[in-house]
Amino acid sequence: MKADITLTVNGEAVRETVEPRTSLADLLRDNLRLTGTHLGCEMGACGACLVLLDGVPVHACLVLAVQADGQKVETIEGLNESGQIEDLQKTFHDRNALQCGFCTNGMLMSAHALLAGNSDPSRDEIRDALSGNYCRCTGYEAIVDAISATAEHRLSAERRLSKMKGAQ
Amino acid sequence: MMASTDHIGQSHRRENALRHLAGRGRFVTDLALPRMVHAAFVRSPMAKGKIVELDVTAAAAAPGVVRVFTAETLNPICAPWTGTLDHFAGMKSAPQNMLAEGQVLWAGHPVAMILAHSRAEAEDACELVLLDIEDEDAVVDGDAALVEGTPLVSDGIASNLCYRTVLETPGLEEAFSNAAHVVEGRFTFGRHTAVTLEPRAVVADFDPSTGQLTVHHGTQTPYQFQDVYAHQFGLPDNKVRVIAPDVGGSFGMKLHVYNEEMAVVAASITLGRPVRFVADRLESFVSDVHARDHRVSARMAMDAQGTILAMDVDDMTQIGAFSTYPRTSVAEGNQVIRLMGAPYTMPDYRGRLSVVFQNKVQTSQYRAVGHPIACAVTEALVDRAAEQLDLDPIEIRARNLVADDAYPHVSATGYQFEKLSHHAALAKLRQMMGYETLREEQAALRKQGIYRGIGIASFVEITNPGAAFYGVGGARVSAQDGAIVRLTPSGEVHCAISVTEQGQGTETIIAQVVADQLGVTPDQVKVTTGDTDTTPSGGATWACRGAGIGGETALRAGRRLQAQILAIAGAVLQAEPATLALAEGAVIDRATGQERITLAEIGRIATYRPDTLPEGCDNSLTAVQHFAPTGYPFDFTNGIQASHVEVDIETGVTRLLKHWVVEDCGRIINPLLVDAQIRGGVVQGLGPAFFEECMYDDMGQMTNASLADYLVPMAGEMPDIEIAHIETPTLDTILGAKGVGEAGTAAAGAAAMNAVNDALRPMGARISQTPMTPLRILTALGHV
Amino acid sequence: MELKGSQTLAATPDQVWSALFDRAILEQAIPGCESLEQTSDTSFSAVVKLKIGPVSARFKGDVELSDIAPGLSCTLSGKGSGGIAGFAKGAARVTLTPQGAQTVLDYTADVAVGGKLAALGNRLIKATAQKLTGEFFANFDTALTCEETAPAA
Repeated sequence: MKADITLTVNGEAVRETVEPRTSLADLLRDNLRLTGTHLGCEMGACGACLVLLDGVPVHACLVLAVQADGQKVETIEGLNESGQIEDLQKTFHDRNALQCGFCTNGMLMSAHALLAGNSDPSRDEIRDALSGNYCRCTGYEAIVDAISATAEHRLSAERRLSKMKGAQ
Repeated sequence: MMASTDHIGQSHRRENALRHLAGRGRFVTDLALPRMVHAAFVRSPMAKGKIVELDVTAAAAAPGVVRVFTAETLNPICAPWTGTLDHFAGMKSAPQNMLAEGQVLWAGHPVAMILAHSRAEAEDACELVLLDIEDEDAVVDGDAALVEGTPLVSDGIASNLCYRTVLETPGLEEAFSNAAHVVEGRFTFGRHTAVTLEPRAVVADFDPSTGQLTVHHGTQTPYQFQDVYAHQFGLPDNKVRVIAPDVGGSFGMKLHVYNEEMAVVAASITLGRPVRFVADRLESFVSDVHARDHRVSARMAMDAQGTILAMDVDDMTQIGAFSTYPRTSVAEGNQVIRLMGAPYTMPDYRGRLSVVFQNKVQTSQYRAVGHPIACAVTEALVDRAAEQLDLDPIEIRARNLVADDAYPHVSATGYQFEKLSHHAALAKLRQMMGYETLREEQAALRKQGIYRGIGIASFVEITNPGAAFYGVGGARVSAQDGAIVRLTPSGEVHCAISVTEQGQGTETIIAQVVADQLGVTPDQVKVTTGDTDTTPSGGATWACRGAGIGGETALRAGRRLQAQILAIAGAVLQAEPATLALAEGAVIDRATGQERITLAEIGRIATYRPDTLPEGCDNSLTAVQHFAPTGYPFDFTNGIQASHVEVDIETGVTRLLKHWVVEDCGRIINPLLVDAQIRGGVVQGLGPAFFEECMYDDMGQMTNASLADYLVPMAGEMPDIEIAHIETPTLDTILGAKGVGEAGTAAAGAAAMNAVNDALRPMGARISQTPMTPLRILTALGHV
Repeated sequence: MELKGSQTLAATPDQVWSALFDRAILEQAIPGCESLEQTSDTSFSAVVKLKIGPVSARFKGDVELSDIAPGLSCTLSGKGSGGIAGFAKGAARVTLTPQGAQTVLDYTADVAVGGKLAALGNRLIKATAQKLTGEFFANFDTALTCEETAPAA
């Protein structure tokens, strides 16, 4: 009944034996103890369990572990250690864009994916991009501010870079 | 005494936020202990009925199942609990047990508990339980519950009325008979619930070898639960340790006693191994307390100039089958009738309250207990009065708000206000929101068929409660808090304190307050919270008491340690302690500011060379302080909110354009965190105003118990919120801080309802029910 | 919740009528039926295992036939309790009309559900109920046909 699966989680090769019904979220949290991925609704509504599956944000509660066989999974722990979202984390901290911290993993995933595809989002576009992320504490405004500030920082860094290149 | 304020008042960032941003939160949900088993509950599918048959044989034999408990096998080890308090004279509620005994009283009432090696196996086994219930007619409506001949909600009560009370001033009748104008309304405030993103979670770990019970519990009040577990299970309280690590949202919902948490503790004591329960979302909807569920009839009397003479209010609130323990389900209604008209110089008042049982999930305290109801009713009537007298909503408030120089003031309901700032807040709001420009824009857009509305709501918020809240009624709910502040051997600071952290930044503000007393930076102050073994006992975090009471406790503890440090420094330096002070991590000369000895050196001497100190010199470098509020029974705060909306009269959809808040929480310790509390609070007020409602059918079945069907406010629907402050410190404490956590929630819905009605006014339509769904707005417009 | 439907069965009204009271046929026809006992001429008690959306459970239920106009119509009222999954109760008016060698069975049912089924599965219930009803009649039709071809017991 159980299935053997092999996947890459945060750059590390993982081999696990799972039941067919085991969700990716349960695999990450219970088997691998990557507890930064949270479960808020287990039906794909709240966004607390978002992870990157081959670079795309997915609800780990809706993906079965066996479906992730052979794929690359990145969780908040991996993104954190890789430094990819360091600036986003910093603006979240500066703007206090989190309170209890339970939604934060998902917010960072959505923000990371948004900024990868849209380097200069408007506030409305940011709010739209967070439409699958529930936060009970902040009222969202600080999160929108933090994502907006990150985009601005990245753009001005790019502009500085291209200016320097232009000057050379 | 020198009062350093280098850090109090600054927007320090939260150190504990860094863990969450790195995916290193430590929630009860994440905890796995050796030999831990998982609990799942068989729940009543019916709102009311008699258990005819409960057969757990197949479940007990299912794979992975360790034990199955029924009422018969589990309930005897826990004393029943009853949610009544003495100061609510005459209130009644039936005793509660962990698992339903004979009769089920709401759809979701736990009937059996299954423990298995995994939650999935426990759930599988739940499906094998045969539960036969003989259906009884459920009492779902509060008004119907009070009608003669209606069945009782449960066999354990003699009446469906839990509590009734009346407050009345002698001049009430006369005020109404002399009134030039009377406006009135009937209001319905829907049931909603906290929907904390982390559901309720508990891991109980009883060690039979030592008799030690450790409960890892996602709660805001660990000491309260230490006491509850000790009392209900007959354990000495020093053998009960409650640890509340990171808590994924609480908002008042996680301070009540629930069947499941008690059952998990009981199971752990019985099995002698760790037991875990984490509610799934459906279980949260049918077992977490719900909030509100009020029907209010109210009228307001005015003289010809629009001066409010009196209010007459009747509140009927529906609380489920039991009053909650230990704080009761009466506290909310009690606050509703006492907060009516609170911002205004209204001399006369009558408030009637009926608290009624029904076969639904319990309702009880949730963020801003009672405030949103009292505020919405008062402010709606003030707007109706303005309309009737043809006064601008700002003008009628200016005529009636208690003058800023008229304090102390006692409200018609008996609340004592030390000093509030309503008029300053009103003036600031008017300017901040550009009121006149918005009105001009509104008029211009109406001509184009665009209906925008502006709603205003003044409010008063109860914070920093003393023992008058629960203690006087016999509840073992602490009104005091405690702190232990230590200087470490290397000259750093540690503070263990009883107020708790759920993300609001308690630990950060405590560090700021302590840092200023000891001349260090907040990042040199490590703050420990949420563990009854390592922090002193106290009330913890509820009713906006973290900053005001916790902050004052920390301040006084810090000052005690400061005196100890200066005494040691005086001995070492052969100086009068009074000539010394603390700054920048060192003892300095108070007059010249010159550094005399570092805190690290003080720590070293006191720890490793106490022999060099004079006889009798206290080298503990540890100060303990407990503090309970004295003076006024509560520190009231005040403020005003405004909401700007656009209603699409074709679809009934409301767009929230902007929201403004002017708030006076006294001394502001951390502006960043204060604003975060206000914004989060506003959205928790707007959610139930527009979206959130626990829907029930006429059999008492909740029909939208999932996040697909129960609507929570999301980012795209919420407006930007602009905030301004007025600071009127309380003189009851040295710190002068009041609370702020509930201010946003208190008035956001009231402002929004006034805004929607302002938008609907040209059509002669009006809505008095929340949530203000598109369907209800279309109904108000007569379109459906 | 109201359910309405019509089913054409390859049997005469009399055959259909007697099958409606036939324990063995009903046992085959009820989806997920584990056991069915006849408790009187007009009542049965059943244990049924069902999965509706995210909810699966064993239901224990009773069915009673009333308002009987032999060969023409009757009312089936039932109540089923599925433990944690919830419960269902309701009544269906069944009418038989001959159509050549066949019979048209019309039914109108009013069904109420509770527990997890109500809380979670509200949006699934109507579709599921219709699916289960469809399965019931398909099975009923099959059992009816087999009964006819089988030697008389």
